[in-house]
Amino acid sequence: MLAFLVRRLIGSIAVLAGVAAVVFFILHLTGDPAAIMIAPDATKDEIATFRHAQGFDRPLVIQFASYAGGLLHGDIGKSLRHETPALALVLERLPATMELAFFALGVMILVAIPAGVVSALRPNSALDWFVRIFALIGQSAPTYWIGLMFILLFGVGLGWLPVSGIGGLRHLILPGLTLGFFSAAKVMRLTRASMLETLGTDYLRTAAAKGLAPIRVIVNHALRNAWLPIVTAVGIEFGTLLSGAIITESIFAWPGIGRLAVQAVADRDFPVVEGVVIVTATIFVLINVLVDVTYVALDPRIRYE
Amino acid sequence: MRFRPIALAVALLVSLSALPLRAADLTVTISQGVDADTLSPIRTTNTPTFNVVGQIYEQLAVPEGPGNMSPGLATSWKRIAPTVFEFKLRKNVKFSNGDPFTSDDVRFTVEKIKDPAYKSTQGPYYREVVKIETPDPYTVRFTTATPQALFPALRQRSYIVDAKYWRAHDNGYLEEHPIGTGPYVLKSWRKDEAVELEVNPNYWGPQPPIKHIVFKPIPDAASRVAALRTNESDIITNVPPQYVSTLVSGKTTEMASVKSVRILYIAFNTLQPGPQQNKLVRQALNYALDVPSIIKNVLGGRAYPVPSVIPTNFFGFDPHAAGYTHDVAKAKALLAKAGYPDGKGIDLVLNSPNGRYNRDKEICEAVAGQLALVGVHVTVKTNEWTNYTTQIAKKQVGPMYMLGWGVINYDADGVVTGILTADAPNSAWVNPEFDKTVFAARAELDTTKREALYAKAQAIAHDDAPWLFLFQFEDLYAMSKRITWQPRGDESIVAKLIKPR
Repeated sequence: MLAFLVRRLIGSIAVLAGVAAVVFFILHLTGDPAAIMIAPDATKDEIATFRHAQGFDRPLVIQFASYAGGLLHGDIGKSLRHETPALALVLERLPATMELAFFALGVMILVAIPAGVVSALRPNSALDWFVRIFALIGQSAPTYWIGLMFILLFGVGLGWLPVSGIGGLRHLILPGLTLGFFSAAKVMRLTRASMLETLGTDYLRTAAAKGLAPIRVIVNHALRNAWLPIVTAVGIEFGTLLSGAIITESIFAWPGIGRLAVQAVADRDFPVVEGVVIVTATIFVLINVLVDVTYVALDPRIRYE
Repeated sequence: MRFRPIALAVALLVSLSALPLRAADLTVTISQGVDADTLSPIRTTNTPTFNVVGQIYEQLAVPEGPGNMSPGLATSWKRIAPTVFEFKLRKNVKFSNGDPFTSDDVRFTVEKIKDPAYKSTQGPYYREVVKIETPDPYTVRFTTATPQALFPALRQRSYIVDAKYWRAHDNGYLEEHPIGTGPYVLKSWRKDEAVELEVNPNYWGPQPPIKHIVFKPIPDAASRVAALRTNESDIITNVPPQYVSTLVSGKTTEMASVKSVRILYIAFNTLQPGPQQNKLVRQALNYALDVPSIIKNVLGGRAYPVPSVIPTNFFGFDPHAAGYTHDVAKAKALLAKAGYPDGKGIDLVLNSPNGRYNRDKEICEAVAGQLALVGVHVTVKTNEWTNYTTQIAKKQVGPMYMLGWGVINYDADGVVTGILTADAPNSAWVNPEFDKTVFAARAELDTTKREALYAKAQAIAHDDAPWLFLFQFEDLYAMSKRITWQPRGDESIVAKLIKPR
């Protein structure tokens, strides 16, 4: 197990180094932001002077070397827009995004998985149809539309919940549900499919024949075996939640990294975009390791040598 | 974890009893699309940033209309030689930390902006200034290299910082800890969440009626509208025209609008080969265009046709400017004369930003549709903004591109030298006679003669048709009925003038 973790760690560092390099070159190939930063009536010479002061005119390889050197020291440079350290800006926004993502994850685990199980237990029942239609809507309706519908219904129409900004549970509900909707629908469908497959197996019939209480059959035997794909999906979906936050955060004026990323891309604020991508990629990689480790706990047959 | 659903239910119930109630604490929340970039007023040229720092800092004087400035930190100003401008400063003004405001602060501010090491994007504001003198604490003299009809320091929004305070702190600190002479001081700034301001008790002018101002950025226009309707915001900017009727009929909301200083036009890139290099073609396309119909059908009537290259409420606009009228027959005749009967052989790309201006892409599509009626084939191509502006500055976007341009001092100079003269960063048209005329106007100190020069320049531009002439926008704001407030055409928001109703 330890050897596996060490191997995974080395692999992860390689992945992150690759991500850091790719994001740097993609960003810089799209051109620098000198022309949009400076006063719009700036002359060619003034733009050139400004470009030089910012160091945008250095050869790309030199810029990459200084970026890579900084990265090794945990420094990705200063935000071009805010003139403050970019990594600090990203880390400052991370808790808001995590709050949103964990809320959505909670919805996924507490609502989507039980709904999927119940749906699989009574296939083609009214309840199953309801769950499946709900999942279909969740999978097909764009997040933007869902968010606006929530705002119109619960904010503007009923006046129950605030529609913008951060601050306590009430502010969290609408963006959290919006963000979680797509992933929850996916997990719900997967849980249902996985459970249906398990429910048809011989060992479950045996468990039931032994006279075990139905709840024990479902939880200890069926769900336990259906877990693997669900856990994988939940892990990957958590990463999706982090990136899906881009739209949700913009609609609900949520001060997280998604919104920071959108603005930074529009501004060509290179260090901030790099920071967001590297931080998000790190979380994604860590979750994947976590999912792998969880397999061991869930399935005794799995051993990492 | 089992308690989560219960907690949710409780939260829902609590929220039922907590319907939005606004305490009479006179807090007004303003929602623009983006947060301030910085709270340093001298680093960026971004309008939403200016609107935030503009409550904390002040300018020497504020442009109010053509040739009309209201005093700010300067009480009077005059030209004392063709290249020397003198400002008399307001006495007994203090920064919010107690430092007295003097001519040294003005000099420091301009020198800091011009210092390449500070990387201010406002450098071009002061490009003509070659010398700054401070003969006494309340007098500043600026010398320019050549005579200037307009004084550079009054052309753009330019705020004065506290020299003593700035010398004592590093740039990073100053980005987030503003000290100004203005009516408000900073209480807190949580980036992308809120800038909270409270009234400056030592402000030299009358105390503002609203004690607390919050700038709460909301990027999505539909969400801004929702926030106003739920009383989470009191003033919202850039309202899309499709929400106007909802907001006008709202119990707690109303619209506020003003003719913008910003014009929208479609430039022909005459530096690239193609039919747009032919003047007759450019004229024909202008005749083919039905601008009033676009305003009515795409913008719900919220724009004003501009018959010339200069906005109608600017110094230098020629009220006799003819402008192009919708005349399909004339358009077809001109096309035939140019060698393109029925528009055959003309296939142009019309480049458009996407979401930068109100309904920009839709306007371009309407233009393409109208040009198709005279047989000209136009394809609309949308562009990502940063790349777009960079390529326009390199003259590589063409054969047609849409751009908006706003100058806050209500003077023709910033318009023509920003987007039309051959060396202007956003120009793709060369007409030496036009350039000669507008540069003469820039150096002409006699107002009447200057006006005549702009009339001549407009006639040249009309004939040579560097653009498809479109319109001036109407800026759309919406606000809560709790307050009274008047928007300004220069897109600035002056919080000290907001009043409770």
